Amino acid sequence: MRTAFLILLMATPAFAHHAFNAEFDANKPVKFKGTVTKMLWVNPHAWIYVDVKKPDGTSEEWAIETGTPNTLLRRGLTKESLKEGTEIVVDGYQAKDGRRRANGRDLTLPDGRTLFLGSSGTGAPSEKK
Amino acid sequence: MRHRVLVVFAGLVIAVAVGLVSPLAGQAPKKYNAPKTPWGDPDLQGVWNDATSTPLQRPANVGEKGTLSDEEAEEFQASLAHELSRDRRDGGNAADVNRAYNEHWMDARRLKITADKRTSLIVDPVDGRIPVLATVSPERQKIRATRAEAAKRFAAGLPEDYTDMSWPVRCVVRTDVPPYLPTIYNNNFQIFQSPGYVTIAPEMIHSARIIPVDGRPRLHKNLRQWLGDTRGRWEGSTLVVETANFRLDEGVLFQNANPATFKITERFTRVASDSINYEFTVEDPTTWTRPWTALIPWTKVDPGEQMFEYACHEDNFDIVHFLTGARLREQKGER
Amino acid sequence: MPLRRAVPFLSVAAAGVFALLWFVSPSLFGQARAPSGVQLPASYRAPRLADGRPDLNGIWQAFVTANWNLEDHEAQAGPHPELSGAYGAQPAGQSVIEGNEIPYRPDALAKRNANFQNRLKADVSEDKTWHALGDPEAKCYMPGVPRATYMPFPFQIVQGTSQYVLFAYEFTSATRIVRMNWQQEAPTDSWMGWSRGRWEGDTLVVDVTGQREETWFDRAGNYHSDALHVVERYTPASPYHMLYEATIEDPKVFTRPWKIRFPLYRRMETNVQLLEFKCVPFTEELLFGKFRKQAAR
Repeated sequence: MRTAFLILLMATPAFAHHAFNAEFDANKPVKFKGTVTKMLWVNPHAWIYVDVKKPDGTSEEWAIETGTPNTLLRRGLTKESLKEGTEIVVDGYQAKDGRRRANGRDLTLPDGRTLFLGSSGTGAPSEKK
Repeated sequence: MRHRVLVVFAGLVIAVAVGLVSPLAGQAPKKYNAPKTPWGDPDLQGVWNDATSTPLQRPANVGEKGTLSDEEAEEFQASLAHELSRDRRDGGNAADVNRAYNEHWMDARRLKITADKRTSLIVDPVDGRIPVLATVSPERQKIRATRAEAAKRFAAGLPEDYTDMSWPVRCVVRTDVPPYLPTIYNNNFQIFQSPGYVTIAPEMIHSARIIPVDGRPRLHKNLRQWLGDTRGRWEGSTLVVETANFRLDEGVLFQNANPATFKITERFTRVASDSINYEFTVEDPTTWTRPWTALIPWTKVDPGEQMFEYACHEDNFDIVHFLTGARLREQKGER
Repeated sequence: MPLRRAVPFLSVAAAGVFALLWFVSPSLFGQARAPSGVQLPASYRAPRLADGRPDLNGIWQAFVTANWNLEDHEAQAGPHPELSGAYGAQPAGQSVIEGNEIPYRPDALAKRNANFQNRLKADVSEDKTWHALGDPEAKCYMPGVPRATYMPFPFQIVQGTSQYVLFAYEFTSATRIVRMNWQQEAPTDSWMGWSRGRWEGDTLVVDVTGQREETWFDRAGNYHSDALHVVERYTPASPYHMLYEATIEDPKVFTRPWKIRFPLYRRMETNVQLLEFKCVPFTEELLFGKFRKQAAR
């Protein structure tokens, strides 16, 4: 049963998400540590800006593309959930145009925990009277 | 012993009946009495989610089975979940980059098959496949070829113009054009009801279909819309919704249907307190050999989960990334 | 005619005269005119929904010219008179603001004027400055609250007896959900804001927070910061009118809260419905045209 599943597999989505390899280069994987300066909780993609220290001591800014923030909001996360100054590890692919932009294929904290995996712990939104 | 044989036999009869489920038997199970709004309409209100891994069309390797046994279903679900999972890192960088993010950015429900263990969302025709017409008119072939060229340029990262990108990428329409199909996230719809109307608000992109159910006439055929023009009526506890007047731009309707000849009827039936059966029938004699129908269960998720605004065009930075990136690469000699 | 039988007739006639005088000269009834010229009527009671709340369902539209400028404005040429002549010109209008003017902090006025100068410019070449120039309306961005209320387009209120009221706007098919008696705060900012409603008598009060700071109040460049807090009041005034009032508060930009007020009119055409104004395709040339592949020389 495991054969040829990729054909006719997923319900053909009403919109096809843009092919990531159109924008990000499979031949340019990146992995680096950076300090969060800002997160834009916007659609269609949230963006995390990080300062990355270079070997010579200077730093450069990278823009990391992530998914829809709505998925995170439904788990109780808010725009306060990623504080400025947090160190994160970015594992992704650099933009084809060579600019300091990458997709956040896998984002972790330095201790290995996946960023945003859980909820914030504030509990589900509710309508307390 | 004889009792056991009878039980097994009865079970087989039921299994066979379920397996050969008639396409139009996706009606409400007889026992559930849907609550009503104070003005007497069946109550469909709430926030609903339609995510599932069950494919639209039956995969080749399940043969003719319309539904699966418990064991087969478990295996089917596991295989689909494995294929769809964004947490996989295998297959090389080319496969990996296209998975984009981790699973937790996606809608978790999209890794589950439908509770009725069907092998396709399509219930009619019984083979679970879209009855595609062998050829379309030369005129439409030409339009499709042009769009395919544009899509190829876009996929290569070299779009020439914003028109090379699809309407969804340009944030004009996304999940909101009917029929509603599950996608990777934001598979949510909120249904509001008021006297004389049922309103369906999809999350992507922030629009609302405000559907009169009071029998008023629809728009004249000269006034056409991206989401068409919709009228509803109640048939028992089922909301029957018909939409016409789609704009004549190609590339809006799914499965490349022809807006001039496309027709869609959707049916919403509350079958349990936390479940709506959403069924759609589409027809287009210039694209398909016959009408076809799919059934997608919707699950109630409020109050725990809510809708959130999905603005799209407002912060659609990637349109510029695609275009300026292409210009940069052209300068460097890429074609 | 005996008096007994005449009384009902006379009552009806008197009511007719009363109604006529009511509409013609409200000052006869001892009501002071507010500078904006609109006054809450004393006695209209809207029909009720099953939960006893006033029924605000319907398609509504404002007919003030506030979308051009909330403050007093004279007729003037539009942004490109050499291209659009009288088509794109601005009509005259009286201020919808109580007190006539927006109470800007002195240091905040320059930005309003710069906004106006740049209202039809756009430069989206860099993400960081994507929103720096141009009226968001011209770019087909969702207008936020209260601007959505006085855009020259209808909107529809979808009100049942649940905890949710939907406002659907024809302009770019924008929508917002008003959640009644809701505690949760805005988890993030959004273009149409986070709306929580409650009833005060027959008035629907909507508290709006969490709005994107990039929206403007009008085409004149009047603006706000991320500290914007809006409280709206919708009060049915007749079968065909609703009175709208919004209090705007933003200590980063204004010296004090201020109010706008104007009537909303029920659209009365037979079979009227919200149509589509999906304006994104109308803006793509302005925003993205310059990034296309140029023909080889």
